[in-house]
Amino acid sequence: MLSQYLKYLLPVCIPFIILILPSDSFGIVGLTLIEQRVIAIFALATLCWVLEPIPIFATSVVIIVSELLLISDKGLWFFKTPSPDLGHLIGYQTIMATFASPIIMLFLGGFFLAMAATKYRLDVNLARVLLKPFGSKPKYVMLGLMMITAVFSMFMSNTATTVMMLSILSPVIALLATKDLGKVAFSLSVPVAANIGGIGTPIGTPPNAIALKYLVNENSISFGQWMVFGVPFVMVMLFIAWLLLIKLFPTSTEKINLNIKGKFLKTPKAITVYITFIGTILLWLMGDIHGMNAYVVALIPVAVFVTFKIINKEDLKRISWDVLWLVSGGIALGVALDKSGLAENAVNAIPFGNLHPLLLILGASMLCLVMANFISHTAAANLLLPLIAALATTMQSLLPYGGEVVLILAVTFAASLGMSLPISTPPNALAYASGNIETKQMAKIGVIIGIVGVLVAFAMLFILNKTNFIG
Amino acid sequence: MEKINIICVDDEREVLESVSRDLDYFSDMFNIEECESAFECLALLEEFDAQQEYVALIISDHIMPEKSGVELLTEVAMDNRFLGTKKLLLTGLATQADTIEAINNAKLDNFLEKVWDPKQLLQMVKELLTEYIIEKGIDYEEYIEKLDAPTLYRLLK
Repeated sequence: MLSQYLKYLLPVCIPFIILILPSDSFGIVGLTLIEQRVIAIFALATLCWVLEPIPIFATSVVIIVSELLLISDKGLWFFKTPSPDLGHLIGYQTIMATFASPIIMLFLGGFFLAMAATKYRLDVNLARVLLKPFGSKPKYVMLGLMMITAVFSMFMSNTATTVMMLSILSPVIALLATKDLGKVAFSLSVPVAANIGGIGTPIGTPPNAIALKYLVNENSISFGQWMVFGVPFVMVMLFIAWLLLIKLFPTSTEKINLNIKGKFLKTPKAITVYITFIGTILLWLMGDIHGMNAYVVALIPVAVFVTFKIINKEDLKRISWDVLWLVSGGIALGVALDKSGLAENAVNAIPFGNLHPLLLILGASMLCLVMANFISHTAAANLLLPLIAALATTMQSLLPYGGEVVLILAVTFAASLGMSLPISTPPNALAYASGNIETKQMAKIGVIIGIVGVLVAFAMLFILNKTNFIG
Repeated sequence: MEKINIICVDDEREVLESVSRDLDYFSDMFNIEECESAFECLALLEEFDAQQEYVALIISDHIMPEKSGVELLTEVAMDNRFLGTKKLLLTGLATQADTIEAINNAKLDNFLEKVWDPKQLLQMVKELLTEYIIEKGIDYEEYIEKLDAPTLYRLLK
């Protein structure tokens, strides 16, 4: 009876207890009041993201507001009473600015591109043209579907891509015999490819954007650089997933025909969309030549689309603001951990230095993979990356293995690879809703891909480090 | 201003003309098209789709040679390119079975019996256009004088 209230009680009680405990009970020397409050906020975030008493984006907003009230220089008066243990108050502008950080703008740009592509049916028409060469043999059709899904999910949300591909696929699946395992294979191929595809670009999925927040200065990675390693990784993983699907769930049907209606639109607006889409991607890839970074480029399509009325004010309302807020909450959490000095203090207090760096990379990635299976990828990345980033900067022993870039990327990739349950990602939930898949079939594929994926990521990062591409 | 179309389908020329005449009130802001068969209507839909024009409403007669109004509207209802397009069946001789089929399969928005009252048709079309424009996220302010105020308030609330 009590257990159903626990998810509401715990996120309220535990942070409160942390707030009122004496500061020497945490085992961190010189813990300031501000740092103690950050611990409370962090606990609140963890509990809310794991137990989900409120929507996950709401948790983000609560984090930002709690930070403004408890640790900002314009917070509640009694939280600002000067005392020797108070610590540094954080500027309220810094906390509020997380709502409009460059990473949020990058995502906004991505949303505009995706929305215009859908509105002017660039997505469906491209899918139709790109699927043609794959013929009608089920396993090659599936390979084609997976490749197209992956490419789309690099630039559109994984969820939107899945919806689109499943809508193309579902009339065909309906034609397959009831006992045919091909139903399972096809239904799984789309979410798996969408989840994997998101890894390919910085805007593919929110965890990537969060990782960018911690990859700054000498560690910064441009849009094009990310794709240099992201896309090959996606290709390798897709191939593995495809082999797994056709081995585990062989199709007995001989021929499969995807029938997608429609033509490429040739109206001036549609042509503007095509040109802007191609132009933006090229600008993203050629960052070194023109000097604009990915964040600046991302706002160009926004301006073009609103100017030419391709995105009108009604469309604006349909942007996934919740995703933007979800990401900004994570950034705010990172800001608090970093600016208060807590991250560094906590990391120094625990003897991570004695740990073998490879063990740390493995442990952190596996932890993230497990978390990402049960909570949203974004929430998992939001929670782990600020800690990981703080840890990585202080660990000298990590340097020979590529330093913090390798650790951050390993954890980020692991976040996207959590896909073993219907609740792991929205694409999984959508595919599960088709009724063709059992949870255990999804788990079988998901667990294998998760573990293999993390190992492939390690191999890739090892090569990148050896070739001095990163680190 | 976006180009928004209304398509009328009837195999009898006089009926078609009379529907068009009743809808003349909308003609300065909306494009009214006449089709004499279901096939003509489907071809027109393809054309509008390729031009990315809105098809807000199809007013169709039921009994027509080759393809009936219900069959036509069912086909439109199943095509995701025309999600949201409003469908009005205009008929004099519908059996109960036809009616049930029309509502269930063609997802009819409205049903009007021949001979209709022009005022009633006008009001129905007004409401359906208002719903379409709001649901599609088209900027409604430009069309406001031809829209149905109560429906507008209800949907914007």
